[in-house]
Amino acid sequence: MPKKQKSWSIFLRKFKSIRMAMLVSFSTLIIVTLISFLFISLNYTEDTVLNNSTEYTSKIIKQVNVDIDAYITYMENISSLVAYNNDVQNYLFDTDLNSTTETVLYQSILTQFSTVMEGREDICNIGILADSGKHVLNAGKSELNEYASLDTMKWYKNTITNMGTTSLSSSHVQNLIKYNYQWVVTLSRSIRNPYINGEYGIFFVDLNYSAISDLCENNSLGTKGFVFILDADGNIVYHPQQQLLYSGLKTERINEVMNCTENSFVTEEGDNSKLYTIATSEKTGWKVVGVAYVSELQSNKDETQLIYIVVTGMLLLTTILMSIILSSAITRPIKGLQESMKEVEQGNFEVVDTSSVLNNEIGSLYHSFNVMTIQIQRLMEQNIIEQRQKRKSELRALQSQINPHFLYNTLDSIVWMSEGKKYDEVVLMTSSLAKLFRQNISNEEEFVAIKNEVEYTENYLIIQQMRYKDKLEYHIDVDKDIYMNNIVKLVLQPLVENAIYHGIKYKEGRGLIEVTGYAEENEIILSVHDDGQGMDDETLMHIFDKHSVNYKSNGVGVYNVQQRLQLHYGKEYGIRYDSKLGEGTTAMIIIPKEIKTGEVFL
Amino acid sequence: MKTGKRKKWIVLVLAFVIIMIGIFIAIKEYRKGTETFKMIFIPKIVDETNDFWTSLLDGVDMATTEFDIDMTIVAPASEEDYERQNELIEWAITQNPDAILICPCNYTKTTGAAKKVLEAGIHLILIDSVVDEEIQEAIIATDNVEAGTKVGKYMKKYVEEDTEIAIVGHVKGTSTAIEREYGIREGLEEASERIVDVVFCDSSSVKAYTLTVELMKKHPNITLIGGLNEYSAVGAAKAIRDLGLGDAVTVVGFDSSTEEIRLLESGIFEGFVIQKPFNMGYLGVQQALKIVKDEEYEPYLDSGSELITRENIYTEENQKLLFPFRGGK
Repeated sequence: MPKKQKSWSIFLRKFKSIRMAMLVSFSTLIIVTLISFLFISLNYTEDTVLNNSTEYTSKIIKQVNVDIDAYITYMENISSLVAYNNDVQNYLFDTDLNSTTETVLYQSILTQFSTVMEGREDICNIGILADSGKHVLNAGKSELNEYASLDTMKWYKNTITNMGTTSLSSSHVQNLIKYNYQWVVTLSRSIRNPYINGEYGIFFVDLNYSAISDLCENNSLGTKGFVFILDADGNIVYHPQQQLLYSGLKTERINEVMNCTENSFVTEEGDNSKLYTIATSEKTGWKVVGVAYVSELQSNKDETQLIYIVVTGMLLLTTILMSIILSSAITRPIKGLQESMKEVEQGNFEVVDTSSVLNNEIGSLYHSFNVMTIQIQRLMEQNIIEQRQKRKSELRALQSQINPHFLYNTLDSIVWMSEGKKYDEVVLMTSSLAKLFRQNISNEEEFVAIKNEVEYTENYLIIQQMRYKDKLEYHIDVDKDIYMNNIVKLVLQPLVENAIYHGIKYKEGRGLIEVTGYAEENEIILSVHDDGQGMDDETLMHIFDKHSVNYKSNGVGVYNVQQRLQLHYGKEYGIRYDSKLGEGTTAMIIIPKEIKTGEVFL
Repeated sequence: MKTGKRKKWIVLVLAFVIIMIGIFIAIKEYRKGTETFKMIFIPKIVDETNDFWTSLLDGVDMATTEFDIDMTIVAPASEEDYERQNELIEWAITQNPDAILICPCNYTKTTGAAKKVLEAGIHLILIDSVVDEEIQEAIIATDNVEAGTKVGKYMKKYVEEDTEIAIVGHVKGTSTAIEREYGIREGLEEASERIVDVVFCDSSSVKAYTLTVELMKKHPNITLIGGLNEYSAVGAAKAIRDLGLGDAVTVVGFDSSTEEIRLLESGIFEGFVIQKPFNMGYLGVQQALKIVKDEEYEPYLDSGSELITRENIYTEENQKLLFPFRGGK
């Protein structure tokens, strides 16, 4: 068994789809089954047709035989009635009769004959004859044919030979009656002369031949088939083609029939093969033979075969159609599942509609798949949230740092100014620093008003300007209209810091930093312009790289700012740099006017 | 299922249905191979009381059944009505059968109509008689010369030293009369010189009777008379019987009837030659079928004849010829 299974699975593996495998296997099974069924049926019919035909013809010819026997029995009964009749014997043989008695006897016999013949059209002659020439014929109206020579007639000779018993002739023309030549079958027996030994008379009764021929003709065996009769010696009693046989235009298998021990045989003549069925009468020894053309029997067979073939074809068609439909119905949910899986593969987590799926193995597959998909989706969402949280805390950690160098330098500047007793300046710087710190630490919110951000930047600039007195000048011009708009915290100051350390610092002479802010159609733009040394394209390209954090600044590098801006507003927003070597640099923060809170862009 | 796939299936199913129909038609066609041919038979007459025609039609019937032919039989009401027969021939042509079988009523007057059969592209088979032109594809008839020779040879047995012979014919100039007379002379060989007179009775036994009576007056030495058909033979025999010359004069004839049989049994007739109309009918149809099927056939086919004498009248074979059985029909 395991081996077999293996070969099966190899066979099934050849197909790309389960449906195809099912279809091919089903179809093969159906075709093999139906074709075998067809062949068995066809063979079976061939045999049965012949058997049935033999049986059918047997029945017919047996019936013909029974009917003939009935005639003969009737004739025999008449013959014994007449042969042992004293009147007959007296009339034929008593030579001492006076004419009156003779007439009485004659009339008595005639009456008897009339009774016999009455209503029997099949009996055409009945008569008694003595060697002396005395005779009684039919109803007395028929005359004896004076030219008929009895001694030459076969039936008469047989009667004399078969003394005491009845003899039955074959079919012949009865010429005993004047002007009446009729085809008959004669049953006859001799009548012994009780007075003179060795002298005889005969009794005969003629059965109209049509009684027998009708029997044969009415029992047709197909349109071509026929029935014929042979007597015990093989002489033809009846044959529809008798004249053709005598002329030699046709032959009949009389010898075969006579020697046949079976009830039937089939001749091998190609299209003209015939089925001979024989029934022999025990009474007469006659053989009734039915001849049926096999081709005619087979016309029936052909029809049956045609029906079988057509029915098989129809069955094939319907079953294959059904298997197409069924296999498709069975495999459709699997296909659906396959497609859903592909969707999931591409990141589209849609739950599959299971309403149309049956509650079977495939249904449970669907269910499991859906549970799995939901699980994965949840995990992924969770992952996103966690990632964002992590990022935020990272950024926050960065933005809250104030560079210790900056603090040290600023404090150092305050010390120096205090020593120089420049108290006003000390106050200004110290208060600016204090504001700076307060803003940095106090606000836990991620967003601040632009006003606050500008103030923070200004405080920073105040400190820096006091430190680089001769080198730095600044100018802030932010449109008041946008003051109350929110912006991500700590984005402007790092740009200013960048402008100082990378632009102004290396410039000979005074540098100017301009901070401007204004609204455009849907955007708010904050720009920091310096007239420093500017940047070459190479530097500009790496401006957002992570490593360009200047440890001397307050630590919030341009990279950090850009990340945060894009985290909150989307990739299309953020910082844009414009710089020319030797002429200066402009950094612009572009954010949308309106922002839906809570939205996060990754 | 996608529409493309559905289309494919529909095509497959259609192909299957077409194949099934194809097989069905092929089988039907194959069985048509044994198709039935249509034929029309126009005898001179259909007469239930006439043994000759009844036997001939029986033969036609037998062949028709055996060979499975679609046969129509039409005939004029009398043997002489060639005009009606010509009409029937023309009607038959309109039926467009495969073959038309004719027993021509007239030697010359039937020719035209028979020609039209051929012109219509229909096979023409003549049975029993011919026409004055050899137009038929096949003729099935008694070889009258052969039959006459049989009679002549039989007559020769009765030729004695001073025998004079007379022939009573039916219709002068008819093919059968000419051929039969010729045959008799052939059969008689040198004895044919003894023929003293040939008379024609126009197929009337009454006329044959009177002609014979006159003949016997004119040639009292006549001891052998040949009658060329049933009427002439019966008329002659009856005359001989009535003249009381039954023992002296031997009559031999053609064709058979109850009267002829009686006359044979009573010893006036010594014998007669009979035709085989059953075979004629059967062979006629058989030949027609061969022609229609384009098989080899005999353009001239003798349906045969048989000499019947008192001795062989009741043999199994001759009974059937002499007493065509007409039971059950």
